[in-house]
Amino acid sequence: MPSQAQILPGTLDLLILKAVSLGPLHGYGVLLRIEQISQGALLVEQGALYPALFRLVRQGLLKASWGTSDNNRRAKFYELTAAGRKRLRQQADGWNRLAAAIASALNTQPEEI
Amino acid sequence: MSFLSSLRSVVARLFDRARVENDTDEELRAHVLDRAEDLQRSGLPREEAVRRARIEFGGQERFKEECREQGGGLWLETVWTDIRFGARMLRKSPGFTAIAILTLALGIGANTAIFSVVNAVLIRPLPYPHADRLTIIWSSWGKETRGPASGPEMMELRKRCRAFEEIGGIWATTATITGTAEPEQVRLAFTTANFLPLLAKRLQLGRFFAPGEDRRGAAPLMILTDGLWRREFGANPGIIGRTTRLNGNDFTIVGVLPRDFKLLFPNASGVVADVQVFIPFLDDLEKRNRDVGFLRLIGRLRQGITVGQAQSEAETISSELRSEAKEYADQSLHLTVASLQADDVRLVRPALLSLFAAVGLVLLVTCANVANLLLSRSGSRRHETALRAAMGAERKRIVRQLLTENLLLGCLGGAAALGIGWVALEWILALQPEGVSRLIAVRLDGWVLMFTLALAILTGMLFGLAPALSVARGDLVEVLKESGKTSTGGNPRLRQLLIAGEVALGSILLVGTGLMIRTFASLLRVDPGFHPENVMTFQLAFSGSRYQTVGSITNFLKELRSNLARLPGTQAVGGVSHLPLDEGKGNWYSYYWADGAPADQQNTIMADHRSTLPGYFRSLGATMLEGRELEDTDDVAHTHVAVVDDTVAEQLWPGQHVLGKKISVEDSPAGPFQFERESVVVVGLVKHIQSHTLTSKGRGQIYLPVPLAPRPVYSILVRTTEPMETFRAYVEQAVRRLDKDMPVSNLEPQMGYVDKARAQTRFVTVLSAALGALALLLASIGIYGVTSYSVAERNREIAVRIVVGADSTDVGKMVLRQSGTPVVLGVVAGLGLAAALTPLLSGLLFGVQPSDPLTFVSIALVLAAVGAAACYLPARRATRVDPMIALRCE
Repeated sequence: MPSQAQILPGTLDLLILKAVSLGPLHGYGVLLRIEQISQGALLVEQGALYPALFRLVRQGLLKASWGTSDNNRRAKFYELTAAGRKRLRQQADGWNRLAAAIASALNTQPEEI
Repeated sequence: MSFLSSLRSVVARLFDRARVENDTDEELRAHVLDRAEDLQRSGLPREEAVRRARIEFGGQERFKEECREQGGGLWLETVWTDIRFGARMLRKSPGFTAIAILTLALGIGANTAIFSVVNAVLIRPLPYPHADRLTIIWSSWGKETRGPASGPEMMELRKRCRAFEEIGGIWATTATITGTAEPEQVRLAFTTANFLPLLAKRLQLGRFFAPGEDRRGAAPLMILTDGLWRREFGANPGIIGRTTRLNGNDFTIVGVLPRDFKLLFPNASGVVADVQVFIPFLDDLEKRNRDVGFLRLIGRLRQGITVGQAQSEAETISSELRSEAKEYADQSLHLTVASLQADDVRLVRPALLSLFAAVGLVLLVTCANVANLLLSRSGSRRHETALRAAMGAERKRIVRQLLTENLLLGCLGGAAALGIGWVALEWILALQPEGVSRLIAVRLDGWVLMFTLALAILTGMLFGLAPALSVARGDLVEVLKESGKTSTGGNPRLRQLLIAGEVALGSILLVGTGLMIRTFASLLRVDPGFHPENVMTFQLAFSGSRYQTVGSITNFLKELRSNLARLPGTQAVGGVSHLPLDEGKGNWYSYYWADGAPADQQNTIMADHRSTLPGYFRSLGATMLEGRELEDTDDVAHTHVAVVDDTVAEQLWPGQHVLGKKISVEDSPAGPFQFERESVVVVGLVKHIQSHTLTSKGRGQIYLPVPLAPRPVYSILVRTTEPMETFRAYVEQAVRRLDKDMPVSNLEPQMGYVDKARAQTRFVTVLSAALGALALLLASIGIYGVTSYSVAERNREIAVRIVVGADSTDVGKMVLRQSGTPVVLGVVAGLGLAAALTPLLSGLLFGVQPSDPLTFVSIALVLAAVGAAACYLPARRATRVDPMIALRCE
């Protein structure tokens, strides 16, 4: 397993939105999807996922409905709302700009000053 | 997020709480199972996989809690959950709950009751329109600053003073109503036409007096109170316009006052609360004597004018009047304006505030006690909360839950307190403190309910915070390791501190109580100058055409006196115009001086003057120091004489014999209130009689024979061995034989007046004794509880001590020492604080110093004894610990 990083505070919501944007998921599914799309580099504390999901639902970014999981268990599936999709776009843009800025800052060579 | 959606979420969760809870559970469970299955697939055995999945997930309870928080509807919902949980916990330990609620109910209930009184008497405005702008205006007469105003004074004030919208005057007396079923003596008040509208918005029936209807020559009208209208006229609504005979004259009834109308006047203003008939003066008051004061004035300030502004204007007018007329200069006139409300409660205010402070101390003792109970219980609670913390509950959350539980306890206590408060209030009202006139208005109203609720919440916070924090602070692992053993309950230092505080507060309270009891004892020892035991009194009013002449009054009294003297059981008969300590009648007093005194020594000292029947001093049991009582032959035809008391004698002729000296007094041989000045010869010297209060000496007194100073109302005194009811029958028969229309009123033992004079002190003493007893009870329960708990807690340690050789005396001593220390510290601190605080009580005390050593020492002893008794039982239990059983149990 590659070395894992604790996710930065505040980014969990963004990762959840991204994971769910790829298709409706139940809670455990969200966890697996994040691991998958980060190639196992990001570690989400399992229990902490749920308060975040509840928060996003309350904020109207996700909507939840009960369905049946692959394991034939009753499970709550989350999907993105329009507001959620918009929020994801904004946050992704913001994150990318920040990441690029930091990356370029860190890549600065002495002769470039 | 839109407000609506969040609101919807809150509402949905409130109504759907159970379902949401289950859903969350199910969701989290599904997660763990999914994970376990994945782990199983990677090769772990099933059980290990489930275990691992759980650990990976983390504290389920915590996340559930967070989910709930994040899901909205949190606040109300958690509160509700906490309340239900709290209720469950309280139900689980009914003994604790019952004691805590009872303690709280007593503490808060006492506060509810006293606050009801404070609210009704001190806070609630008087039940009059524009009550905040009503003032009472006193006129001064030499040193007497709270005297009545004369007619011209009122008229001048009305004319000159811009501060007032209206100034109305009243003079109360008694009169006889005839023409109804039975002749009846009623309280009558003469008023100016504008007086009643100052105190009542509207009438129940009819109309107020119109302006000008109080002038000389206007038609005689009357307004009745609701009580008299119901009793005498059967609540007949057709009464308006009918005439009734009052003092032998026809008066037309024009109005009936509202049912809730109350005439609330400051004490000793001569205006009693039970006036039943109001009539206009029917006189031109500006033409009356400038220096005969009889009017009590009520003024309504103009909007925006303060009492202070009115006062300074009144002062300017007083000085104008003093320079304009000799009479005003002679009486050194000062007009004083005071808020009616403040003036009314002037005397009772310090007493009530002291009681309010005392009951506040009781509340603090209550809080300390309940806090201690909670701390004792925290041993078992600690384990439970540690478990919850281990399962992921946040500390903040646990504290909140415990606080909610305590608030619940506080509110239950508050609810029970309403019941106790109601009972206590009934009891307080049953004490019937005379002179606390506004007590009739006491009730449990919205303010009182709000006060009780606020108190319940406040106490819940106060007694609950420390224990809650101490429970939640516990070190998880330590506490869990202790499980099964008896864990120590709370911080012993904190509990001892609470006990010390409780005892200190209790001692302050008890010192106050002790001082009040000593005051009351002094009051009981006061020699009023007479012996009230076995003296019956009643009142007669002479009015109407039959008693136009002075002779008719003296003849009636003479015959009645000899008739009464012949009754079985009679030892002495007398009579006077104003009974000692009877505050229901206007007092008459004026200047006097030694005959021939230079002008600058006239008008300097005042005495009450009393119209006196022969036999008065003997029937009252007063002490004749020299000379003789007044006799039937002391009339206008013989030498004009008077009896004076030793106060007067001391003022005029210190160290000299007084018999035969001549003294200038005001009398009225031509008829009631037709005053003139003349010299009379002193024929008797009597020991001073306490006429108004028991606690201050008051003015000297001059006793004039009836023919020299006839009055419309007399009190007859009979020293008799007959019981009240037999006596009443005798008296009514004796009076009726002389005049069938003459009503007998106020039949009462003289002792009744003495009791009334002691009533306020008795009221404060009884209440503070009750509060002191309550505090003592609570403190002893507290000491007992903490000591027994610490003994139970240290059973094992005690057993070990016994095993290694301590004998039972050592053990007992140890327990007593440890529990006794905070008690002793508390007593010392409390007495120190009390010494600093009691000077504040000095206004309430009589015959005892605020630092009275006897009180302080006895309170210290009482508390020490109670503390020792409360420690003794648990200490004895400690000495009986059976080491084998104790050690085996653990």
